[in-house]
Amino acid sequence: MSTTSASSWLTPKRIPALVAGILGVVLLIVVFANADQTQAIVLGLGGGALIAAIALSITLNYQGSGVVNFAAGAIAMYGGYVYYGLRVNGQLFLPPIPNPLAPIEGIAHLAGASSFSLPHIPVFITLAHPGQGAAAFGTFVQQPAMPVWAALVISLAVLVLLGLAFHFLIFRPLRRAPVLAKVVASVGLFIVMQAVIVLRFTSSAKSVAPILPSRPVHFPRGVSLPSDQMYLVLIVIVVTIGLWALFRFTRFGLATRAASENEKGALVLGYSPDFLAGVNWVASTVLAGFFGILAAPINQSIDPITITLLIVPALAAALLARFNSFIVTMAAGLGIGMLVSWIQLVSNKSWFPKAGGSALPGLTDALPFVIIIVVLALRGKSLPTRGSIETIKLPFAPRSKGAFPATMVLGLATIALLFVVTPIWRLSIVNSLVGMVICLSLVVLTGYVGQISLMQMALAGIAGFTLSKVADAHHIPFPIGPLLGATAAVVVGLLAGVPALRVRGVNLAVVTFAAAVTIQNLIFANPSWSGLKGASVNSPSIFGFRFGQNDPWTKLTGGGKGLLPNPWFGVFCVIVVMLLALAVVNIRRSRIGRHMLAVRANERAAAAAGVSVSGTKVLAFGVAAFIAGIGGALSGYRFGSVTAGYFGAIPSMIFLAYAYLGGISSVSGAMVGGIIVAGGILTTVFTNWLHISEQYTLLLAGIGLIIMAIQNPKGVAGAIRDGVHMIRRRRDAKGAVSSSGADSVPVEVAV
Amino acid sequence: MGMLTTSGLSVSFGGKRAVDSFDLDVKAGSLVGLIGPNGAGKTTTIDAITGFVPAQGSVLFDGTDISGLSSTMRARTGLGRTWQSSELFDDLTVMENLQVASERVDVRGFLRDLFRPRNDDVSELMVILESLDLADSADVLPTDLSHGQRKLVGVARALAAKPKVLCMDEPAAGLDTEESQTLGGRIRALVDGGLSVLLIDHDMGLVLTICDYLYVLDFGQLIAEGTPAEIRANSKVITAYLGERHGGGSDPTGDDGAPVDGAPVGEVGVGE
Ligand SMILES: Nc1ncnc2c1ncn2[C@@H]1O[C@H](COP(=O)(O)OP(=O)(O)O)[C@@H](O)[C@H]1O
Ligand SMILES: [Mg+2]
Repeated sequence: MSTTSASSWLTPKRIPALVAGILGVVLLIVVFANADQTQAIVLGLGGGALIAAIALSITLNYQGSGVVNFAAGAIAMYGGYVYYGLRVNGQLFLPPIPNPLAPIEGIAHLAGASSFSLPHIPVFITLAHPGQGAAAFGTFVQQPAMPVWAALVISLAVLVLLGLAFHFLIFRPLRRAPVLAKVVASVGLFIVMQAVIVLRFTSSAKSVAPILPSRPVHFPRGVSLPSDQMYLVLIVIVVTIGLWALFRFTRFGLATRAASENEKGALVLGYSPDFLAGVNWVASTVLAGFFGILAAPINQSIDPITITLLIVPALAAALLARFNSFIVTMAAGLGIGMLVSWIQLVSNKSWFPKAGGSALPGLTDALPFVIIIVVLALRGKSLPTRGSIETIKLPFAPRSKGAFPATMVLGLATIALLFVVTPIWRLSIVNSLVGMVICLSLVVLTGYVGQISLMQMALAGIAGFTLSKVADAHHIPFPIGPLLGATAAVVVGLLAGVPALRVRGVNLAVVTFAAAVTIQNLIFANPSWSGLKGASVNSPSIFGFRFGQNDPWTKLTGGGKGLLPNPWFGVFCVIVVMLLALAVVNIRRSRIGRHMLAVRANERAAAAAGVSVSGTKVLAFGVAAFIAGIGGALSGYRFGSVTAGYFGAIPSMIFLAYAYLGGISSVSGAMVGGIIVAGGILTTVFTNWLHISEQYTLLLAGIGLIIMAIQNPKGVAGAIRDGVHMIRRRRDAKGAVSSSGADSVPVEVAV
Repeated sequence: MGMLTTSGLSVSFGGKRAVDSFDLDVKAGSLVGLIGPNGAGKTTTIDAITGFVPAQGSVLFDGTDISGLSSTMRARTGLGRTWQSSELFDDLTVMENLQVASERVDVRGFLRDLFRPRNDDVSELMVILESLDLADSADVLPTDLSHGQRKLVGVARALAAKPKVLCMDEPAAGLDTEESQTLGGRIRALVDGGLSVLLIDHDMGLVLTICDYLYVLDFGQLIAEGTPAEIRANSKVITAYLGERHGGGSDPTGDDGAPVDGAPVGEVGVGE
């Protein structure tokens, strides 16, 4: 950090913080003129304290090991569940540990021995038994199984172990990896923690008893705050001051700061950077988890999503503080919490934007998004500065040879298969085909241009909702409806993508994730758009021939009604996938593909070669949004409706994982990615043949993503390609004297 | 009037002046050298001319002020550059690297390519590769090439854009004497063919033999300019190169942040 220019304190870098500060002060003055608004602001302190704690955990991680940890919110949520399990049920849950016996059992079941059972690895360790409780308020309340202190101590011990595991298993192997590889790993961690909790506790909310005493504390002017929130704020302030002092006055803190600048700095102070990173991982995990434990009771319930998604406001707070100052981080976290609470209050006012008679939801989520995008766009540059180039090593993007015949053969084979397989398989093939489309969109944006996007499923959702709410509502016929949806996705994709032109790497992941959360809460969760069951989508038809998933169909041979789902919908999906796959192959083979890979490899050199870096990115954002939009329309048809849960921030992360696992830089990788999506072909292999629960798909995707980030392989498709290439080479070597074939570039063998 | 003229070109990094009021002139069809010790501001000068670092002062290219243009637009008007550390597109073959520089993308062409990718004509690019003895490597990935070959690919890529002026940042660094002399001959041939070149190099032997005119920078300041003969005799240049402060102080880095592997300046015979 440059501290050289002492002459002027008003550097361009400080403008965003300054503007935010001024706006904050103005807002405070306006608001304190009014008692109930003051009250609302004060009530935001509790939520703000949790945001601040997660933000502090992010900052601590960043200082300790250069990781921008997307999983910090998930860690807080996980901590809350560990405590919940212990306190309420007296049970310590274990993350799923692969049982080597399960496949044997699966094969036995396949062979017909359905009662055959081998030992299972325990899911919970029971430490205490819940007592029988008295009826309260007419409902039966369980007596907690464990006293608060015991549950708390064990939870903290578990968090320490988790922090160590994160360090040793994930981030230590990544210590020299590009920053973006670390981000990908933290996205994997996010998915894993989320999946583990859903596996163990389901996704429905659980109610938790308070830990901190809760009675109103009165302040002047009639303002009051429940004491548990007040304690939370006090604790976060104490922790912040502690961290500040630790980093300012101790050798440990100095060494961490030195290590975050360069590794030698820490060694001089007598610490190994590795040790520092480990300690900081433990500290940040315990910090996030501890506040998850304390904060969950304030909402009286815990679920796998709410706290997890506080990562977005927390990232906004950490960004405002440049991942650097603990005090600013805390202040920003508390400030965002108070602003959110204030927005909630004023959403009842008549001037507030309305949707279907009630206040527009999701504006509270839009706030951190706006902060993030303003801060990053102001700080960013349209080209990276010299020496600041930070790229993720993406797998080689091969030029396909023989893609056309391969696509035809595979496409026709799939079409034939759709008519002969059982309904379960037919459904899973369709799910995989829809997944392939989303993965193709990531191939263009992330695979070819190197721009990490965590909003592709949100864009897909935009198309799905447009199809339902605009096209269907106005009786726009089939081929135009989905195209209209995809166009809407392009518009939103560009709106989010254009500010992102000045933002790259980790920050782009942050921006797109915040955009996804905003779109999800502002549009998809909008009650006037999607009811409880989601927005319905009419089945597609052309010339009166209806081929929706659940439209009746006549068998090709022998006549008579066939079983649903309708294979003609699958045929439609196959045709769409074939067209898009060939288009994406053609992109790689043409000028734009070369420009995209040039931008991915080196933005500065690309600009010097006359490539319009921004233009190429905008085009990629647009094309990727269009493809994702087509995927969204397909999934709308597939379910007959679009729901907020299917499209949104977390699904976007998960799809990045699938695409990465399949092989993010090639079309064949997208095909593999589609096969492994939840509900796809692989899932059906798992559930039908191996008897592994579908819920494990997500878990495996998350773990796979982490392993990919560490090992940096080329994805499943890349591995197959290498294998084929090796066999070819061997065959060539046996034949005539090998010419220059050995050093020529490997071309993609369509598999 | 020169092809490329700067006046009052200045760049500062956080209060430190890396280039200070530099007036430079590259006449059409001439080979101009820019020399100076590590950290003198040579790369920063090229960055400023080609729009990769914000700068004060004006940059005239073929008579028009281009200081408001983005680096992409400067490249497209015919201002080419090479990089100190090659900066090739490692995921593309050598030929594709050249194609990136020679081909423009427009929306109509893009839409057509989606359905039927054009087979772009590469014969002109092949000529460039042949002229640099790279024809055999056309379909090879840059990562499979030697350091010297990579540097040549960097030059070939810049030439593929058919520049009018080419700024070359240490094209000979890391090459052995023979390679470096061959390269010198090739650069001279390009200039004789009408290209104007601004050449940065540490190899004083090379620069003094092939350049028409030289500028010498030290600590961002122009300390001398003139013909090779004048520069050889300039006492300021000799002290700058042979003076005591060398080996310490500045922390020269390549464009990728890695230490520059150029030959130490002090070793080269200045007064020979
Ligand atoms: N992006 C940057 N930020 C700060 N200082 C820089 C930056 N780029 C170059 N410098 C500094 O500017 C000075 C000139 O560097 P440079 O132009 O690379 O010198 P040369 O190419 O002559 O070796 C050096 O002191 C270098 O450290
Ligand atoms: Mg240099």
